[in-house]
Amino acid sequence: MTLLMFMVMMAGIASLLGFYRLLAGPTHTDRVVALDLLFSIAVVFSLIAALASGRTVYLDVAIGLALIGFVATLAWARLIQDVVKTKRDGEIP
Amino acid sequence: MTIGGTLICLLALAILLIAAVGVVRLPDALARQHAATKAATLAVSIFAIGIGVTAWDGQWTWRVILITVILLFAMPLASHALARAGIAELERRKDDGSTG
Repeated sequence: MTLLMFMVMMAGIASLLGFYRLLAGPTHTDRVVALDLLFSIAVVFSLIAALASGRTVYLDVAIGLALIGFVATLAWARLIQDVVKTKRDGEIP
Repeated sequence: MTIGGTLICLLALAILLIAAVGVVRLPDALARQHAATKAATLAVSIFAIGIGVTAWDGQWTWRVILITVILLFAMPLASHALARAGIAELERRKDDGSTG
C-alpha cells in the first residue's frame, strides 16, 4: 500500500511540473507539449489504479486515454499550424 | 507485488519524473518537446510492461501489449505533427520580433 502511495506521489509530482508548463508556457506549442505529457501521466495513473484495485477495467481506460491523447495532440498541432499561418497582427482568426 | 515488477515500475516512474523536470527546465519549445515525448513514451511503455510482469496473467498481458503498441506508434506521429507546428510558430514569432 505504501508502495502504491509512493508511485502515486511520484506521478503527482510529475503532473504538477506538467501543469506548471501548461499554465506558464510562452508559446502554444509549449502548452500542447505539456498536455501531451499530462496525457501520458494520466495513462500511468490509470495503470496504477489497475494495480491497486486488481481489475482489468482500468487497463481499458488506459487504452482509451492513449488513443484520445493521440487524436487530441494531432488536432491541436493542426490548429496551431493553421492559426500561425493565417494570423495577422493583432487579429485573432 | 513481485520484486522485478516493482523495480521496473519504479524505474519507469523515475524516467517520467525526469521527463517532467525536462519540460520545466529546458529553454525552448522544441527542446521541451524532445524531453516530453521521447522520455514519456519510454516511461509509460516500461510502466505498462512492469504492470504486466507484476500481474502475470493472460487478461492483463494482452491489454498491456496493446497499450505499449498503441503508444509506440501514436506518440511519434503526434509529436511529429506537433514539432511541425512548433517550427512554424517559432519562425512566425521570429518574423514578428515579439517576445510575448
